[in-house]
Amino acid sequence: MSNPFREELVSQARSEVCTVVILGATGDLTHRKLVPALYNLAAEGELPPGVKIVGMARRDWSDEYFRDSLEKINREVSRSGHCEELWGEFRECVSYHCSEFQDAEGYRKLSERLDEIDRERGGAGNRLFYVASAPEFFDDILEHLGKAGLNAERAGYWSRVIVEKPFGTDLPSARHLNRIVNATFQERDTFRIDHYLGKETAQNLMVLRFANSIFEPIWNSRSIDSIQITCAEHFGMEGGRGGYYDKAGALRDMVQNHLLQLLSLVAMEPPTDLSADGVRDEKVKVLRSLRQWETPELVAANTVRAQYTAGHVNGKPVVGYREEDRVDPESMTEAYVALRVMVDTWRWSGVPFYVRMGKRLPKKATEISVHFKDAPGVLFSALPGRVPGGNVLVIRIQPDEGISLRIISKLPGASLRMEPVKMDFHYASSFGKSSPEAYERLLLDAMAGDATLFARRDEVEEAWKFIDHLERGWHATETPPKMAEYAAGSWGPVEADALMASEGRTWRRL
Amino acid sequence: MSEATAQFSDLGMEVPVASIGRELKRLWEADEASTNASMMNFAVYSEGPESLVRNSGAIQELTREHACRALLIGMDRDAPETRIKAWITAHCHLAHGKKSVCCEQISFLMEGKALGRLRNTIFSHLASDLPLIFWWQGELSDLFEAALYRMIDRFLFDSAEWADPGAGFARIREAAVARDGIVLQDLAWTRGFHFRLAVAGLFDDLVAQRALGEVNSVRLVANPDQRTTALLLMAWLATQAGWRLGLELDIAAERAEGCDECFTLESREGRSISVKVEWEAQSAPLSLLEISAPDFVVSVSRDGEADFLHQRLECPGHELVLRGPADGITSTDLLAEQLSRGGKNGLFRKVWPVFFDLLRLTGP
Repeated sequence: MSNPFREELVSQARSEVCTVVILGATGDLTHRKLVPALYNLAAEGELPPGVKIVGMARRDWSDEYFRDSLEKINREVSRSGHCEELWGEFRECVSYHCSEFQDAEGYRKLSERLDEIDRERGGAGNRLFYVASAPEFFDDILEHLGKAGLNAERAGYWSRVIVEKPFGTDLPSARHLNRIVNATFQERDTFRIDHYLGKETAQNLMVLRFANSIFEPIWNSRSIDSIQITCAEHFGMEGGRGGYYDKAGALRDMVQNHLLQLLSLVAMEPPTDLSADGVRDEKVKVLRSLRQWETPELVAANTVRAQYTAGHVNGKPVVGYREEDRVDPESMTEAYVALRVMVDTWRWSGVPFYVRMGKRLPKKATEISVHFKDAPGVLFSALPGRVPGGNVLVIRIQPDEGISLRIISKLPGASLRMEPVKMDFHYASSFGKSSPEAYERLLLDAMAGDATLFARRDEVEEAWKFIDHLERGWHATETPPKMAEYAAGSWGPVEADALMASEGRTWRRL
Repeated sequence: MSEATAQFSDLGMEVPVASIGRELKRLWEADEASTNASMMNFAVYSEGPESLVRNSGAIQELTREHACRALLIGMDRDAPETRIKAWITAHCHLAHGKKSVCCEQISFLMEGKALGRLRNTIFSHLASDLPLIFWWQGELSDLFEAALYRMIDRFLFDSAEWADPGAGFARIREAAVARDGIVLQDLAWTRGFHFRLAVAGLFDDLVAQRALGEVNSVRLVANPDQRTTALLLMAWLATQAGWRLGLELDIAAERAEGCDECFTLESREGRSISVKVEWEAQSAPLSLLEISAPDFVVSVSRDGEADFLHQRLECPGHELVLRGPADGITSTDLLAEQLSRGGKNGLFRKVWPVFFDLLRLTGP
């Protein structure tokens, strides 16, 4: 049976009516991201009619208390504002189910509740489980979902799961988690969320590369000198995040997922089509091609890890990493990491990808910069003064999403002097309408069964393989590479500058 | 200040037509703090010079979300003297609360002889490389001719404003044939977008899908000023469901019984579906669409100018009551929605065959 009225109505994949079950529903993610995203979708008429939301967590809350708690935060954070009338109806679709994550009886009762919702809707229905709990509960939740039969497809109705990062803490744990997930849900029903992929600029990367004929012919080692991927954060360990972060570190927390995803989008070959597997097949090839430095010495020579010391951010004094709340005073976890990554493919032979991520840097910014080779100097090298550097294409992921291109231009005047100028495209200036939040797009895609913007099992495992190799390199010797230091509010340690300077390059100034 | 000058003072600085480019450059040089943004050329044409100030207000609103170079043309074809006046200004907004983003606007008051001057005036002031979006207000006149529409990428009009929609659409069809790739957007079609979305949403429900083959009546209540809006919605419903128009004899019979806007559709299975379109002067453009089968009703309704549509599905043991967004009321709101959605608008053309039949067979 199909719905003829859907045909040609909107261009995006059709999201299907379902019950969204959020496991770990009393947390920040649910309150600040997931429910506001679902509310905004409802406000814009994008949420399929009849969608119900069931929050499950350990706290002894009632439906009303849960709804009130969500409402309070939605008023603060909703992108489209908070409309009393609309919320009044939206909240009726929301309910709360109290259960321990390890309690089989709790899942049995959840199953009954979902059956009841289905009956009210007129029969069986689709179910979307969102695992938003702390990672240590993933195993229990997935196992119990399976035991309660909540993972099973029923007569044409799907059951899907969205798993939040981290997808493990290393390759063995990621494999274990994937085994558990895939023992419960089929891979096609598993959606590993990386919210970076839901951002407009990340989605625009493929459009930029493959819908503009000027870029693809020069998107290779013949024209490109190097690529930098930067994720800078001015935050430290506020809000008690030190406890988690000190166990993870910058490499595992950000590089393994967000930054390697961006790298694979920049470096991948054109996919054969825009299907989820078409795109992800190409991304995983990039991850498989990441060079694993052969010796710990080579790992040390191509990586920098660092911690911040006390300094100033936005004019305010801040403590050093080891003095942060819930951080071990003798911690050897990196709050900053810089990598020189080689992608061993024909296209990228000899082109280094410099990836850096750090806390307590001067500002919050994520961007990709593509540095093109200098033009042959035969024409201008004889002129007095320097010839400015080559062209740089910058893709700003956040904030101030946009694209800029640095080109060399003649300065006005009788003499031939050259300076770089910037052509700049800002999403906010050209498109006044605010972009949907990443979670809005990703939730709709999961309801539509479109996994293009989600990580596949082999992507996650290949990324961990690469990260684990670096970690082993750092810790496999008696004399591991030293933990560098940088003052909070600076652009990172001098060792990271030296990593670039050794090859005659510098980090782009953001 | 003369009366005429005062009337147009909201349009900005009056400038000689020959030096518009130079004056715009000066305008930007005088304000280094603003960003000039433009995604399209947006021409607004009206055969009423008094529309210029009103349209400038609309552009002020539209440019919050749609950066453009706006060209406003007010034409007074009955003026005894042939002349042209121009004004320039910029509409500025704080983009996302941060920086001032401005869009330039050139307004033209054209009097007297029109043919040839309109397209020349537009073509000579387009920002290069950007698409031309053209909003034609009111009836299509002889100025809507091939030399003009061959340059247009997206043509916006409101068939609800036309006294004779049949004649208007004949010109639109001509343009569609002559200008391959032109995107045609009728605000009367846009007015029904959220109704269509709501109907589609309700029929996602499997109970509704099962009942679709049993549908035996459709009731549509609309504002009498929105005849094409209502018929376009009906045409979409019939086209998508695969319902054919019944025999003209049936329509004649319905009329004989005193119902002007009643007709019969025939489902794929040969089932007869009676359709009744009712006009209510004080209602929203579209105020109710009710699709019924035995023991089953789906309805979408709007109270006056409410911001929400009420959506309801009822059958024994199963009820769904929802609220969803409604379409804009003003032309500016509708335009903003339409520009946000973009696309080729292929569904609009798909429903034309049924729509033209409905236009021909119903109404006055």
